[in-house]
Amino acid sequence: MEKELIKFMLNGEPVEVYNDPASSLLHLLREKFSLTGTKEGCGEGECGACTVLLDDLAVNSCLIPAGKVNGRSVETIEALSKDGGVDPIQEAFVEKGAVQCGFCTPGMVMSARALLKQNPDPDPEEIKMAISGNLCRCTGYKQIEAAILLAAGKINSK
Amino acid sequence: MSYRIAKNLDSALEALKEKDPATRIVAGATDLFLQEMPARLVDVSSIEELTAIEEIDNRLVIGAAATHARAAASELIKGRAAALVEACLQVGSPQVRNIGTLGGNVVNAAPAADAAVALVALGAKAVLVDSSGVWREEAVARLYSSYNCSALDGCTELLVRFLIEPCGQGEGSAFRRFAARKALALPLANAAARLKLENGMIASLSLVAAPVGPAPTRLIGTEAAILGKPAGEETWLLAAETAAEEVEVRGSLLRCSAAYRRHLVGILTADALRAAARRAAVSQSGSLT
Ligand SMILES: Cc1cc2nc3c(=O)[nH]c(=O)nc-3n(C[C@H](O)[C@H](O)[C@H](O)COP(=O)(O)OP(=O)(O)OC[C@H]3O[C@@H](n4cnc5c(N)ncnc54)[C@H](O)[C@@H]3O)c2cc1C
Ligand code: FES
Ligand code: FES
Repeated sequence: MEKELIKFMLNGEPVEVYNDPASSLLHLLREKFSLTGTKEGCGEGECGACTVLLDDLAVNSCLIPAGKVNGRSVETIEALSKDGGVDPIQEAFVEKGAVQCGFCTPGMVMSARALLKQNPDPDPEEIKMAISGNLCRCTGYKQIEAAILLAAGKINSK
Repeated sequence: MSYRIAKNLDSALEALKEKDPATRIVAGATDLFLQEMPARLVDVSSIEELTAIEEIDNRLVIGAAATHARAAASELIKGRAAALVEACLQVGSPQVRNIGTLGGNVVNAAPAADAAVALVALGAKAVLVDSSGVWREEAVARLYSSYNCSALDGCTELLVRFLIEPCGQGEGSAFRRFAARKALALPLANAAARLKLENGMIASLSLVAAPVGPAPTRLIGTEAAILGKPAGEETWLLAAETAAEEVEVRGSLLRCSAAYRRHLVGILTADALRAAARRAAVSQSGSLT
């Protein structure tokens, strides 16, 4: 396995790593950067547990060859609690009881973050659409939708 | 293993010059990454010429590396080729649409790829260039050689853009699909239509359904059966019946029987025609939809 130098912005910091460019961004994040908040569910784009932001757009990190992020900006769930605090989206998930086993939660939160960056005042249909690529086997989605609506309110009233 | 992000068309073509079968073009990688990855990849998704969506000389020009998300959000496409917007909006999930491209959808050559079905119904042409710099234009429908096999050589030939004649006055297009779920499910069948109305009659028509053959397939028999007929419920029902009879479909144990798929093709065909005719009528009364 040949390695190549990959340079990119990771949670706001410039990073460099020698890695197989054809292995997934998901494995790069978890194994080389120990950012284990990003989860592996299916490994084939079907569950959204691995969702991260690539240049502010939600993507499945399990489908991204590591070489693709060269020169780009990646944000993971860890970016939300960088200074030890809790992000309004995370707060809202806790307040609305939108977390059960928690396996889908980082991906859900990142999809919500992508949505709110693009559209700070989404309606319930837009929220459903934004998390349509994220599976949750526990909550039944209602609490997650309510949490994202609450988060939008929290962010807008800041 | 090497992964090169091409900055422009010339550097992408340079990388393909060797005609090395282990070198392959990649765009969003949503199809390729789940298959066996070739040893050398040339990523074309950042080349400006391949991502632009514009109107030039009254033709819609859509870069092959435009993502489904960008195409679905494009007001330019919505007003001139609504079927494509509808198709792109239904691909996979937001995450897949943010990175998967129209060119990849066509070159991956799945028989019922959503954007490809809309492109064929719209009469889209593909503009291709090979590693020696020779350009050619080809109808999208002709880019398929057999099941899941593109006529394009992904090691030497680059799909640069699609050209679409925009729907003018009295014209409309639409796309419909049926899948087991609303998101993250491949279609059991899909259909797309483009038509022109004159005095309430169907003056011209292109009707496509899939999976019917290796490529998105024109329903020639159904087109002939309803050409010249009034745009109305009786005609749409005739189209549904004729389409369901006309198509050769396969069933699969896991997904659906051939009989069910045939039924779906009929219903989706009628739905697509109905929606396309509605748009054509609105465009006649002045406003583009
Ligand atoms: C979870 C999931 C759900 C999906 N759901 C759907 C769905 O509902 N409907 C649907 O239609 N598809 C679906 N897909 C398939 C896929 O996302 C699309 O086909 C997508 O458009 C492929 O584009 P890409 O840019 O990712 O292609 P890539 O994977 O980058 O490339 C695919 C093929 O095309 C070639 N290629 C790419 N660009 C060019 C070019 N410009 N010139 C020459 N060759 C090129 C590559 O060499 C490769 O052979 C899904 C995929 C996943 C993972
Ligand atoms: S692990 Fe990436 S989508 Fe499931
Ligand atoms: S909380 Fe368990 S999968 Fe969503």
